[in-house]
Amino acid sequence: MSDFLRDYLIVGLFGVVAFGLVATFIGLASFIRPDRPTAEKLENYESGVDPVGSGWSQSQIRYYIFALLFVMFDVEAVFIFPWATRLEAYGMFGLIEMMIFIFILALGLAYAWRKGVLRWV
Amino acid sequence: MFLNQFLFLAAILFCIGVYGVLTRKNGVLVLMSIELILNAVNINLVAFGSFNQDIAGQVFALFIIAVAAAEVGVGLAIVLLIYRNRRSIDVSEADLLQG
Amino acid sequence: MIGANLLGSSFGGVLAQIEQTPFVRPHIDWHAVAPELVLLAGGALVTVVDVIGLEKVRRIIPSLTSLVFLAAFVPVLTLWNQQGDLPRVMWDGAYVVDNYSLVLKGLFLLSGYVIVLLSTNYMLEGDYYDSEYYQLISASVLGMLVMTSARDLVSIFVAIELVSIPAYLMAAWRKRDLKSNEAGLKYMLMGVFASALLLYGMSLLYGMAASTKLTDIAAALSIGESKPIFTLAIVFTVVGFGFKVSAVPFHTWAPDTYEGAPTPLTAFLAVASKAAGFVALLNVVIIGFPGQADVVEPLMWVLAAATMTVGNLIAIRQTNIVRMLAYSGVAQAGYMLAPLAVFGDRPGQATSAVVTYLVIYAAMNLGAFAVVIIAARKTGSGEISSYGGLFNYAPGLTVAMTLFLFSLAGIPPVGGWYAKFEIFRVLTDGGSGAGVSLAIIAAVNSVFAAFYYLAILKQMWFMPAPDGDHSRISIPPSLQAALGVTVFVTIVTGSVLIGPLSDITKLADLALP
Repeated sequence: MSDFLRDYLIVGLFGVVAFGLVATFIGLASFIRPDRPTAEKLENYESGVDPVGSGWSQSQIRYYIFALLFVMFDVEAVFIFPWATRLEAYGMFGLIEMMIFIFILALGLAYAWRKGVLRWV
Repeated sequence: MFLNQFLFLAAILFCIGVYGVLTRKNGVLVLMSIELILNAVNINLVAFGSFNQDIAGQVFALFIIAVAAAEVGVGLAIVLLIYRNRRSIDVSEADLLQG
Repeated sequence: MIGANLLGSSFGGVLAQIEQTPFVRPHIDWHAVAPELVLLAGGALVTVVDVIGLEKVRRIIPSLTSLVFLAAFVPVLTLWNQQGDLPRVMWDGAYVVDNYSLVLKGLFLLSGYVIVLLSTNYMLEGDYYDSEYYQLISASVLGMLVMTSARDLVSIFVAIELVSIPAYLMAAWRKRDLKSNEAGLKYMLMGVFASALLLYGMSLLYGMAASTKLTDIAAALSIGESKPIFTLAIVFTVVGFGFKVSAVPFHTWAPDTYEGAPTPLTAFLAVASKAAGFVALLNVVIIGFPGQADVVEPLMWVLAAATMTVGNLIAIRQTNIVRMLAYSGVAQAGYMLAPLAVFGDRPGQATSAVVTYLVIYAAMNLGAFAVVIIAARKTGSGEISSYGGLFNYAPGLTVAMTLFLFSLAGIPPVGGWYAKFEIFRVLTDGGSGAGVSLAIIAAVNSVFAAFYYLAILKQMWFMPAPDGDHSRISIPPSLQAALGVTVFVTIVTGSVLIGPLSDITKLADLALP
C-alpha cells in the first residue's frame, strides 16, 4: 500500500473508532438505564416557564453596522501581524509603511464616526 | 509531503461552493457559498506554497482573506438594502430587470 | 499524520529561511508610481475634506475630484517624455511601467475625468447626493491604474477587486429604488463569483509555477507537453475574466445592471470597468500564456465569435437605449476579444489593436452615454421612441449623437472604423484559417450592428417628437465639456490623428524581450 493511501487508512480507522465508541456507550447506557417515559419528561423546560411564540423570531439587526465595521478592521490586522513578527528587521522603513496603512484605516474610522454611523439608533 | 489530500479537499470545497452558488436562492447563502470557494483557493495556495517551499502562496492567501472580508461586507450591505425595501432576500424574486 | 508532520516541518523550513535572509529595502521608483500616489493622496484628501466639511463642501467635491484626476495625469505625461528610462521595473518585476501601461493610465484617468463631469449634475440634482460617490470613483480608477502595471497574480487580483468593489456599491446607489438595488445585487453576486473562479484558476497557476509572477508562470507553462491541469487553470482564469468583460455566455448581468444603475455609473461600467477587465486579460494572456497559445486561441475564438454575434442579435430587439448600448457594448467586447484568438504569432500587434480599440471605444461610448444623460434631462426616459424630433429642438446634440453612432457602427471618417480596421488587420495578416474566419464573422456582425444604430438615427432625424414638446434642452457646463472632449477624440482618432495614434499604440505592445 502506498504512503498516500496509508494516510487515508489512518483517517478511516479514526472515524471507525470514533463511531464505535459513541455507539458502544449509547448502546450500553440504553441497556442499563430504566425506561419509564411520561409526557412531562418530553417538555422543553421541565421545571421552568413554558416557551411563548415561535423559536424562529427575528432579532434586532441595528448592530449590524458595528458587526460589519468590526469585521473590516479586524481582518485588516492580518497585514499587521506579519510586520510585527519582524519589527526590528524592517526598521524605520517598515514603521513608516505601517503608519501610512494605519492612517488610511483611521481615516475610514473617522469617516464612519463623522457620518454618524457609530451612533446607537 | 503529500499534496494530493489538500488539493482533493480544496476541489471538494470548490465544488460544494459552486453548487451552492448555482442552486441557492437566499442571497446570504450565495455569499456563504462563495466564501467556501475562496477558502478552497486559500487551501490550494497554502498547500502549493508549502509544497514548493515558497512564501508567496501564504501572502496571496492573506490578501484573499482581507479582500474577501471587504467583498462580503459590501455584499451583506447590498443584501440588507434589498431586505429593507422588499422584505425578502430571495435572489430569484429580483426580476424587475429582464432581458 | 505523516502528512501533517511534513507540512509542519516544511513550513518551518520556509519561515526559517526567511528569518535568515536579511531584509533588503525594496527600491521604489517614486516617479514611476507617482500617478498612483497622486490619485491615492487625492482620494484621501477628498475624504478628509468631506469628513471635515460634511454638507458645507458638497458643491466643491466634484471639482476637487476632477482636479485630482488631472493632477494624476501630469506624472503620466512626464513619464512618457522620458522614453529612455522605460520600462521602469519595480519589486522584482511584479510592477512594470512601460508604454503600454502609460497609454492605458492616461486613458483611465481621462475616462474618470469625463465620468466625473457626467455625474456632477446627475448626482447634485438627484435624490441621492453623496460625496462618497466621488471617493469610490477615485478608488476604482486607482485600481485601474494599478492594473495597467501589475505583472503579478497578487497585484492583478488586488487591482481587479479595487476596481470592482466600489462599482458594486455605486451600482446600488439609488438606495430606495428597487431597480437600482437589483442592479447592485446582480452585479455583486456575479462579480464576486467570477473573482472566486478566477482565484481558483490563479491558485492552480501558482501551484504550477511556484511563483505569482507572470513571467515565471509563462516559463512554467512553456516547458514540456501540455498537461490537463494547465488547461484547467487557463479555463478558470479566462472564465473569471469573461465575467468581468461581459463576454457571452457570462454577460447576463450586464444589461440588467446597466439599466438599473445610475446612468453615469453605467457609462463608467461600460467603458472604464470593462477596459480594466481587458487590461487584466491582456496582461495574463499575452505575458502569462504564450506557451499555451494552442489552448488559449480556440477558447478566445469561440468567446469572441459568440460574444459579438449574441450581443448584436439581442441589441437589435431592444427598445431602451441604455439596454441597447449595453448589448452593443457586449458585441464590441467580442471585437476586442478577437485579436486574442491569434495572439500566439503576433502578440505585439494584437495588444496594439486591442489598446487602439479601447481608446476609441472609450471616447465614442462615453459620448453616447453623455447624449443619453442630456436627453434624459428633458424627456426623463430611456426609450428609443422618446428620441423622436431630437433634431428639431436639439440639432447640435443630434449631430454629436450621429457622430458617436457612426463611430460605433464603424463608418468613416469618425474613430470607430480605424479601431475595427486594426482588428481586421491583425486577424487577416497571418492568413490563418482561424483568423480569417473570425474576421468574416466580425464583418457580418458589423453590417448587422449598423441596422440598430441607424434605427436611432432615423428616430432622431426624421420622426416627430412623441409629446410635441419642442422646448430646448439646457446643457449644464460640465456636460458640455464632457460632450466636447468625446466629440473631439471621436473625430480626430478617425481622421487627422490616425498617424500619431498608431505611433502611440504601436509603442504600447506587451511583447516581451
